[in-house]
Amino acid sequence: MRMFSVSHKTVFVVDHCPYMTESSRQQIECDMLTKSRAQGVIPLAPVSKSLWTCAVECSMEYCRILYDIYPTRKLVNYIVSDSEFHILNSWRQEDQSVQELMTALAAVGPPNPREDPECCSILHGLVAAVESLCKITEYQHEARTALVDLADRVANRGRIICLTNAKSDTHVRMLEDCVLETIQEQNKLAAGSDRLMPIQQCELVLVHIYPQGDDTLVSDRPKKEISSVLSSEVHSVRAGRHLASKLNVLVQQHFDLASTTITNIPMKEEQHANTSANYDVELLHHRDAHMEFIKSGDLHMAGSTSRDSGLKETVTLKWCTPRTNSVELHYCTGAYRISPVEVNIRGRSMRSRSVLLEQPRKSGSKVISHMLSCHGGEIFLHMLNSTRSTLEDPPSISEGCGGRVTDYRITDFGEFMRENRLTPFADMSLDAAGRPPIERAKAQLERHTRYWPMIISQTTIFNMQAVVPLANLIVKDTMTEDDVLTCQKTVYNLVDMERKNDPLPISTVGSRGKGPKRDEQYRIMWNELETLVKTHVGTSERHQQVLECIIACRSKPPEEEERKKRGRKREDKEDKTEKNGKELEEKMWTQDSDRLKGAMEREKEDQSESEVIKDSPDSPEPFNKKPRLATEEIQPLEKSKGPVSLFSLWTNRITQANSRKHQEFAGRINSVNNKAELYQHLKDENGLDVHENGKATR
Amino acid sequence: MPTVVLMDASLSMTRPVSLEGSEEFQRKNLAVHGLTMLFEHMAMNYRLEFTALVAFSSLWELMVPFTRDYNALQEALSNLEDFDKTCLELALQGVSTIMQQEWGSACPCQLVLVTDGALGIGRGSLRHSLATLKQRGEDKKFPLPFPFPCKLYIMCISNAEELQTTDAMDNLEQLLILSGGEGQIFTMEGPLCLKSVQAMFGKLIEQAYMPFHAVLRCGHLTSDVQVFPRPEPVMIDEEVDPVPKHVLTELEIVGFIEIADIASPPVLSRHLVLPIAVNKADEVGAGTTDEMEEDTSTNQMAGKSPNFCVLLHGSLKVEGMVALVQLGPDWYGMLYSQADSKKKSNLMMSLFEPGPEPLPWLGKVSQLGPISDAPENPYGEDDSKSPFPVQPKSKRSYAQNVTVWIKASGLQTDVQKILRNARKLPEKTQTFYKELNRLRKAALAFGFWELLKGVAELLERECTLLPDSAHPDAAFQLSHAAQQLKLASTGDSQYAAFEHNITPMLTDFSGGGGGSDRL
Repeated sequence: MRMFSVSHKTVFVVDHCPYMTESSRQQIECDMLTKSRAQGVIPLAPVSKSLWTCAVECSMEYCRILYDIYPTRKLVNYIVSDSEFHILNSWRQEDQSVQELMTALAAVGPPNPREDPECCSILHGLVAAVESLCKITEYQHEARTALVDLADRVANRGRIICLTNAKSDTHVRMLEDCVLETIQEQNKLAAGSDRLMPIQQCELVLVHIYPQGDDTLVSDRPKKEISSVLSSEVHSVRAGRHLASKLNVLVQQHFDLASTTITNIPMKEEQHANTSANYDVELLHHRDAHMEFIKSGDLHMAGSTSRDSGLKETVTLKWCTPRTNSVELHYCTGAYRISPVEVNIRGRSMRSRSVLLEQPRKSGSKVISHMLSCHGGEIFLHMLNSTRSTLEDPPSISEGCGGRVTDYRITDFGEFMRENRLTPFADMSLDAAGRPPIERAKAQLERHTRYWPMIISQTTIFNMQAVVPLANLIVKDTMTEDDVLTCQKTVYNLVDMERKNDPLPISTVGSRGKGPKRDEQYRIMWNELETLVKTHVGTSERHQQVLECIIACRSKPPEEEERKKRGRKREDKEDKTEKNGKELEEKMWTQDSDRLKGAMEREKEDQSESEVIKDSPDSPEPFNKKPRLATEEIQPLEKSKGPVSLFSLWTNRITQANSRKHQEFAGRINSVNNKAELYQHLKDENGLDVHENGKATR
Repeated sequence: MPTVVLMDASLSMTRPVSLEGSEEFQRKNLAVHGLTMLFEHMAMNYRLEFTALVAFSSLWELMVPFTRDYNALQEALSNLEDFDKTCLELALQGVSTIMQQEWGSACPCQLVLVTDGALGIGRGSLRHSLATLKQRGEDKKFPLPFPFPCKLYIMCISNAEELQTTDAMDNLEQLLILSGGEGQIFTMEGPLCLKSVQAMFGKLIEQAYMPFHAVLRCGHLTSDVQVFPRPEPVMIDEEVDPVPKHVLTELEIVGFIEIADIASPPVLSRHLVLPIAVNKADEVGAGTTDEMEEDTSTNQMAGKSPNFCVLLHGSLKVEGMVALVQLGPDWYGMLYSQADSKKKSNLMMSLFEPGPEPLPWLGKVSQLGPISDAPENPYGEDDSKSPFPVQPKSKRSYAQNVTVWIKASGLQTDVQKILRNARKLPEKTQTFYKELNRLRKAALAFGFWELLKGVAELLERECTLLPDSAHPDAAFQLSHAAQQLKLASTGDSQYAAFEHNITPMLTDFSGGGGGSDRL
């Protein structure tokens, strides 16, 4: 539906002239005597509503249904007319409620029968209605402001519903002419104003109300175009029940509503607790909720029946008492607010949050087609998809990318999701940096994922309970002094563990035997912890303090360890050639002969893993790995993919042992596919240019 | 979005194409060639699409029902026989029936009509159908527009000039407009040959069957994905904003919500989110590796390397949550695990309606923020609470105590309630006045003063009927209430104010410390 259709603005103009005090002649017996007390008591005379009372209560019912289904964006302006006009509310959203209108109506009171009929006319109200339609609503204003240059896309249309007692068809024609003239005048005025808009389209709905038993002096007339701007229709209705059903039909037509009757609703009241008594409730809602029935031509067979009240049918759906309280995500193609046709009847039958509704079909088969669901005190009719899905039988996620990996950190990511759940904040709650809540949510996700290995075998620290306090705190945007202390405590605790030589949960996936040695394990763990904290070091001074604490506390710098292992002979040269500790690590990792086979098997995995998590210290970077991959001894083994032959195992072992005894050529270390690039230093000296060309080696 | 291929099998399709080369082609051969190309493309890049093949002449026949088996489609195509004249209306009727039987009337579809542009003669020709459009009864309506949304692609085995010599082009254009305007007419450029038919079907593939690739992102965790079926552009209000909105190729997760809180929201469409392996050679650049690896081994590699989609799917499934994902400016959707059967499940994405507040029970999406920003965890320390649903600013009529007297029974019930409570005074003093005030307010708003007088009389009568055993306070309260109603019915602003409430009369008997009130 277009936002600024005729239904955006509705003006009610209700006649408040002396003749509206006339009785509708529909009598209501309100003294219903109970048997035991009937004797000797004269019952009270029945009361009857005036034409005014009938008009007011039916228009209120129209508004009640409208506001239930469109709590915003569909606006009503209520005007009463006697010797002058009285505007009871404005277009503003906060003025849009039945409560508001009732208060104003009480202040107006019924028409004064002693007022001079000559001075009174519905015309005052109609003129005011046209003026009111020219007034811009906050929604129109907002849309025009947003569109700036295209502001003329925002249309100004509206509807006037006039409840009156007309004298004749000629009188009706006079009213129409008057409205048309006023529109033309007002449009001229509005053209030159910022707060007014010319009316592009106006629908006039004249409802002539007359007492029961009288003959009508005004004839019904369907909608006709009076001019390009104005169309008009006339309804001549007896006061009371007939007027109520007329306005009920009108509200459905005006706002594209349809009716659904829910049957078989179980009684929950105490007196019916033991019986199987059921009741029905008729609901109004946007007609799109019946889309599937309308299109498939099922509307008539879907158990629909004509109602006495109006022109349209109601679709019958059966209440399915919920079996369990399980929470399910249904495929729902629309959700529509509802309004009960009779508000007095147990409006609160919605005890459970949602109830499935079943559509009885001719064939006897049953289909769940809708769901009635309560969200924060508002009831919605959800339309569920009941046809075949075009997405059926998709390839399972386990067959696609990453589907064969079995050690995802599912539980940890679940915990991550809980921490990153959303919650509503009050309007305009910006933080210090001027970010709305949703941007803060994104920023938090960014912080929390700076270092987040996806599989268990890629991480050590996240498998350790001892690291949890630090890992939780370091991702925070602002750390307190206490947080830093907690982090430091965590680090001291790790140092303690290392001193006691506690085992670490290092993954042994892909490695044969016990995996890396204890000191090696700790080195891996410290490296990973450092990686994690380094990604947050720029956040604040306090984050920096945590990193400093780790660097200061971690047992031995890796270089030192390295030296020990390699023996003192090579120490001096080593320092000159090696660029950083990381490369050393790399070597040591590969040179560990115990792990040789495991390492080779992991080769393929690592290649792709390292693409995902480049920070992970235990998945070597592809650049440094490639040379080894290309060595002749390993290649045949890779290709055959069969079990390792004794020969190749032996050769590998010897090669590994030999390699320990000499220092590898720098060229070979840095080579790709056993090809080393010469004169690399020249490039480095050229610096920036080369980098910009994107060819730079590191 | 299922596809129906509607293939013209009329005799005119067998017209030979004049070629200088040795081989002689029929138009039908060209059509089959083009469709083969389409099917091959779909089998490779769009294989989850369901496609049906319908052949038509003066009758129509469903050659292959909806399937993902492109070999079957291909086979049926190559065994296609030749029939008589073209009668498009019947065939379209057939397509409508087939579609609705299989997918209902809401599922959007793509119709690929392959024809030579000779649209029949006399009764049953498209020209005749279009000319008689307005002279039909309800039961003989032209099948277009279909009840379901449809994109109509007309593939003409003919060039534009040829079509313009007759009224064929005009008729086809009219057909396209009738179908709702979505789709396109494709014609062949240059001589009718294999090359130009390839070019024409290439354009169709480009427009309608290119897979939608995107990057799914959650902070630094990312995955390359294919979204199937392709998300369609969406128009919200053709008057205020006639520019269709497109889903961005970067899908950014903004946070997570429990399934119970998102509460089966209405969605525009559903899509599978399938992780894909991006060819690494593309990124690294050629030269260093000259691998021409087999397809299977790359798939194996991809299967073994961890993928964020799989992690996300697993956790969403276990935790019973959805991820809220941003699709564009002021446009959101949700990611969740969808089980197809007990064993198979998948990562799905549903699109909400574009706009700042797609679901009233979540409030404005831009106002959703991280729980760590809230003064205390809105979910409670033990997950026993939830900040959702967001309460609406005003209550609906069914959640309030609204008074409606349109039916006499409504009014009678309200009066009886007052009388019932009147007989149980003083125990029911509170309820009595509550009901009395509700009636008073409604009567004042409706200008129904006569009722106020009537009820006042009823209360006075109740007062006279009180049994001897009655509590003395009852009489006081009844006459006090009756008097107040009478005053209100005069319209005197002092007593008839809407906000004013009749309060219980303070007597010796009412309340605990009543006695001390006495002067």
